[in-house]
Amino acid sequence: MSEIAIGIDLGTSNSCVAVLRDGTVEVEVLPNAYGEATTASVVALRADGTITVGNAARANIIHDPAHTISSSKRLIGRYFFSEEVKKAQAICSYQIVEGPNHSVRIEVREEVFSLPEIGAMILRELKSIAESRLNEPVTKAVITVPANFNDNQRQATKDAGQIAGIEVLRILNEPTAAALSYGFGKGLAQTVAIYDLGGGTFDISVLQIADDVFEVLSTCGDTFLGGDDFDDRLIDLLADEFLERENINLRNDPFALEKLKVAAESAKQALSVKDEVEIRIPDVISAADGGSSLSIERTLSREEFSRLVNDLIQRTFKVCDEALQQADLVTRDLDGVILVGGPTKLPMIREAVEHYFGKPPKDDVDPDQVVALGAAIHAATLVDNEHNAFLLDITPLSLKIGVAGGLAETVIERNTPVPIEQTRTFTTFQDDQESVAIRVYQGEARESEGNELLGQFEFSGFKKARRGQVPIDVTFEINADGIVNVTARDPESGQQASTSITLSSGLSDGEIRNIIEERRSDRVQLNSELVPADAEALGAVRLVSQPVTSIPETKEALAESTPAPAADPPTASVEPSDEGIASVTPQDPGITTDPEPPTDDLESDDEDFATKVDRFEEELELLPDETLEPLEMAAADDVTAIMNDDDLLAMSRGPDLDPENPATQTSKTDAEPEADPDLFEDVGTDLTTLDGGGSENKD
Amino acid sequence: MSDLAPTEIKALVRIMDELDYYQLMHVKRGVSVRDVKKAYYAVSRTFHPDANRSLESDLRDAVERISKRVTEAYAVLRDPRRRQAYDRQLNENAGVRMQLAAAEAGARKQAQENEGLTPQGRQYFRLANDEIKRQDWRSAERNLATALTFEPNNESFKSMLKEVRKNVKYSPADRR
Ligand SMILES: Nc1ncnc2c1ncn2[C@@H]1O[C@H](COP(=O)(O)OP(=O)(O)OP(=O)(O)O)[C@@H](O)[C@H]1O
Ligand SMILES: [Mg+2]
Repeated sequence: MSEIAIGIDLGTSNSCVAVLRDGTVEVEVLPNAYGEATTASVVALRADGTITVGNAARANIIHDPAHTISSSKRLIGRYFFSEEVKKAQAICSYQIVEGPNHSVRIEVREEVFSLPEIGAMILRELKSIAESRLNEPVTKAVITVPANFNDNQRQATKDAGQIAGIEVLRILNEPTAAALSYGFGKGLAQTVAIYDLGGGTFDISVLQIADDVFEVLSTCGDTFLGGDDFDDRLIDLLADEFLERENINLRNDPFALEKLKVAAESAKQALSVKDEVEIRIPDVISAADGGSSLSIERTLSREEFSRLVNDLIQRTFKVCDEALQQADLVTRDLDGVILVGGPTKLPMIREAVEHYFGKPPKDDVDPDQVVALGAAIHAATLVDNEHNAFLLDITPLSLKIGVAGGLAETVIERNTPVPIEQTRTFTTFQDDQESVAIRVYQGEARESEGNELLGQFEFSGFKKARRGQVPIDVTFEINADGIVNVTARDPESGQQASTSITLSSGLSDGEIRNIIEERRSDRVQLNSELVPADAEALGAVRLVSQPVTSIPETKEALAESTPAPAADPPTASVEPSDEGIASVTPQDPGITTDPEPPTDDLESDDEDFATKVDRFEEELELLPDETLEPLEMAAADDVTAIMNDDDLLAMSRGPDLDPENPATQTSKTDAEPEADPDLFEDVGTDLTTLDGGGSENKD
Repeated sequence: MSDLAPTEIKALVRIMDELDYYQLMHVKRGVSVRDVKKAYYAVSRTFHPDANRSLESDLRDAVERISKRVTEAYAVLRDPRRRQAYDRQLNENAGVRMQLAAAEAGARKQAQENEGLTPQGRQYFRLANDEIKRQDWRSAERNLATALTFEPNNESFKSMLKEVRKNVKYSPADRR
């Protein structure tokens, strides 16, 4: 018997775990303790120090927005100053703070958590769901990520797995997983598109399936487009109407805003099964006089909602155009379209997809579960010799090296198949240069600034010579996980330096060890260990499962070990009722007496943040110009003689060059990220180096 | 899972740097794009890292190296423009390996050189090139033939037409 390995779809809003059991060919979703196929990717930190994950935690948002972490996937593997983090800061009610090396941390009740740690809490819950369903320990998993995740995000997701005590067999692209779930074991010969509209991102991938081979032809995405944006449109509508009517801006009150969010999302979801929904938010806020409380009541039709979000839907098709073009295909060439993600349950999206592709989407695929099912299939193929599936994936983003003039020189183009290894030769920029700084970027912009900086390392120890006379081979490797490794080599001496690219904001092995030893995730109260009464006591809310979603037939094991879902309707909840009414029931007294209203700090922090961002942006602008300059930009066009001097791109004198300190002169053979100098401090040093030259630049 | 013998793997890694992409993929020069893909699938079934997880780590590394080279070969041979640049390199005995950036640059350069001597020839040849990118072999064939009426001796037009004709019957537009 082979070991068990599960598949995990670690989603922005919802996560799902599945398994292909040994000796069977049927892959199944493992439902949580409440019988639900998906578990909310939400972590709540209680005042008593306990941590809850899942739908109970999600229900906590409305009571306690500042201590409830949702959508953390939007932040994982990001720099603090990135656009995505700015956007998240604007909408998240918990504290997003800056950690070491411009990383992102979340601060809750004076405790600071890294994003992989938060991810690990969710993964622990999912692991425990699997263990309680399978009645055996589970240590191996395939975890999925959006195809557009860059190396930092993949690495951080892997770290989350490690912290959760999971051996991550593979980081798998979500659309590839979906295709696998659709086509595994069917002996297909088809070209399909995977249309994945999630909570925060849109991805489209085109794949060719040839029996047991799944070849990704192209993948494109929009990381700022998802179901949450649909909610925002509705929130804006409701808030604007309220402002007009009552002259109160609900957006300024975090509790009112949370209620709006919940009601908007709930109304949207109800519209996937109803033509019309009634939105009711009693007591959304107290009137200005402090006395009476005000409410929102309004009907919303599919048509009206459709108008609100139509431009968002159309934006997805622009991305589809791009993906098809990259695959050299037109919609006619596709044999099928597979829908993934919660919003694709909306009829208006299904219709738009059908219109664009000229064929109805496959309806035998569950958009909430298909990714986890695919991950489970892949996990089984990796531990079991009986099942075979070959995934020929591609890298979704171009990999580049920062060169002269603030440009980024492509080494591996996007949509290149992986695994692959490519080498390009660069050269020194100054006479007698002793080291070079190798900056690795991922993205599509010509200027290095417009791309994501994955990391940098220094290479030195080559012979001293005139500028342009020292060739330096830089090799990029992308393995089957999409994880990147970069090596620099002196072809004359054979001397070599390499580093797995580690984001300066990523966790070092040492940090991961510390986090594991701290065992903070032990405080997670696993839902599978709760009896129903406890679940209710903790404020667990059983969100009504969506009518479109079919939760798989529960197995015998389920009957034994599952606590029955809480029978009574929860106190604070949102339920599309039978009449299609989405309402937020009156807040319970607990809300108003919450000991720590989260309101005030947020604003002042924002200002702080804005100044910081400005500063980083200034620094970033300086980075490329001051450091690198090309000798010959025509180089890339010469086919045959990569090794010619003319082909060599100049690189700058590296940062931290200090003849008196031999440690900085030898190549780093095993980059230990904690020892890495601060990425952007580096730039400062580098600037001094160029201006002042020599050794007085030290510190 | 593949049943590669350790000796096979070791032998292949040793000679890998001497094999050209055609030898590596077990295909002939002039093979159609469709058959390149078939070959890629077949070779991947053997050398994909996932197919060899149970090997010992040094052998796994070797398999991964082979797999990466196979991917590179595929990325060159599946694109007629890159392949043309690669074939030229082989003809000039300038090495069996070609970095993708060089293949892409070569494809661009070759296209410039080859783009034709007459305005009409250039025009139809360009149209054909775009169609080749879209794998619209039939239209490419038509336009190349037209380009040749203006420049009957243009070698690059001729060889491109020959390539295109191999693919005509596999055009995705005809598949249904
Ligand atoms: N029945 C429904 N109708 C409309 N929207 C829905 C429905 N069910 C869920 N959603 C929306 O789907 C979104 C979440 O989608 P999903 O669960 O697929 O994302 P995710 O997997 O968590 O995110 P990602 O894949 O981007 O990491 C939310 O915006 C949610 O409101
Ligand atoms: Mg998802």
